[in-house]
Amino acid sequence: MSVASIEFIFLLLVCGAFFFHLPGRGPRLAAFSVANALALWSLLPGEAQAPKSFWPSLAALAVFLVSGYVVAMALRRRPSGWLLSGYLLALVAAFLVLKEYEYVQWALPMSLIKHPIGIIGLSYMLFRQIHFIVDAMQDQIEGGTFCAYLNYQLNLFGILSGPIQRFQDFHEFWQNPQPIIADRHELLKTILRINWGVLKLAGIGTACFYAYTLSSSTLDQVSRGFLVQLSAPKKLIYFAIMFYSFPAYLYFNFSGYCDIVIAGARLFGIRMPENFDQPYLARNMIDYWNRFHRTLSHWIRDYIFMPLYKGTVERTPNLAEPLSIVFMFLALFLAGVWHGSTINWVVFGILNGIGVGAVKLWELAIIRARGRKGHKEYLKNPQIRAAAIFVNLNFACLTYLFFPTDMVKTLHAIEVLFRSA
Amino acid sequence: MDEIRTEAQQVFRDVFGDDDIVLRDEMTAEDVDGWDSTAHINLIVALEKHFKVKFAMAEISRMKDEDQNVGGLLRLIAKKLGKAG
Repeated sequence: MSVASIEFIFLLLVCGAFFFHLPGRGPRLAAFSVANALALWSLLPGEAQAPKSFWPSLAALAVFLVSGYVVAMALRRRPSGWLLSGYLLALVAAFLVLKEYEYVQWALPMSLIKHPIGIIGLSYMLFRQIHFIVDAMQDQIEGGTFCAYLNYQLNLFGILSGPIQRFQDFHEFWQNPQPIIADRHELLKTILRINWGVLKLAGIGTACFYAYTLSSSTLDQVSRGFLVQLSAPKKLIYFAIMFYSFPAYLYFNFSGYCDIVIAGARLFGIRMPENFDQPYLARNMIDYWNRFHRTLSHWIRDYIFMPLYKGTVERTPNLAEPLSIVFMFLALFLAGVWHGSTINWVVFGILNGIGVGAVKLWELAIIRARGRKGHKEYLKNPQIRAAAIFVNLNFACLTYLFFPTDMVKTLHAIEVLFRSA
Repeated sequence: MDEIRTEAQQVFRDVFGDDDIVLRDEMTAEDVDGWDSTAHINLIVALEKHFKVKFAMAEISRMKDEDQNVGGLLRLIAKKLGKAG
């Protein structure tokens, strides 16, 4: 069932209307747990998804989740860097195998990589699991019962594609499931946001995707020699449509989904974090990743960039500044690679890594040349800001050429562009 | 708390290279030139060394939230030093 379907929206509104009529914490949490279990059941593979099958997937998910909780509780009692590192390595390795990453096939036998396990939302569970374990070891998790942890991981408002919520924020709801919508006006705004999300996801997003499919298929046919009569200006127009329509589709599709789940969660008293903030108005790629899928960016900042950079500042402060650029590249590269299991994501990751690394280098160059005051003036200049937004928008769109898994189509379109120029 | 504020202010001035910084509770990263992700870690490490405390990743991350300010950071240091309230 799609989150933009009439059935889902109907269920959301009806259950949201009745949820706080349930008497007290126990019945509300029980109802929420049942809803999460039903959502999970609908996401695990059925007969139609063969060769993936239900029971092996459920068993693998159980091991994945239970092991995380057991290790987190062990680390909370007795912190150990070795146990944390060992478990995280095993967890990531298991994740790569479960997700059937293409590059894993170079190192492992096919019999191990091709399996009947298919778990939707596993990537987001991995993020939440790492956060839970690291925070448990640093004594930042209070009252993490197994039931709370399981519902945190399987929260139907974040299981599919985020937003990535912190356990501490989820636990506020778990401790005291009370309405957070203050009045009728706020309720109206929440329901309007759900409707707006449906329009973005199913209407505008779908139209953008249609434009992308049409333009990329046309350019593909030109490249293969099936459409020889298309003029050079028309080829450029088709390329421009392809170039801008896919990022537009991604934004409307994903932010529309987030509008539905964030507003839907509010009906049940759950505060999910915001995930978008006008990303295509960002002035550079660091700013962009603070605005697009920001809960993922913040996770990467907190659990990849910060530990690496902080460790360097503590041990070798002289190397911290140059290495910060390497760590930024690495963090965004990993974020790109995480998005999917095929080789196009490596290109996507490298481009994003170069994007953020270049921003940091440029910033350091300006500070060296003009000082912090000069850098501040540079950031305030409206003409520079407008130019930066334009350049960044186009760079972000360039990276998204490698987002669709059919890279042959993308390469064909680029080939047509260069032949037309 | 005043003592912590005065000492933290000197750490801020050293990290951001600006002797004009005067810490106020409502100050955020937006109010200090150059307070980005890397400067944030430089500041945290400097505060950890100065006050001989240790911040957890979750605490460091929370400080970057939109609703967090210098007042919250100073209260956290005070709590870790056992001087809260």
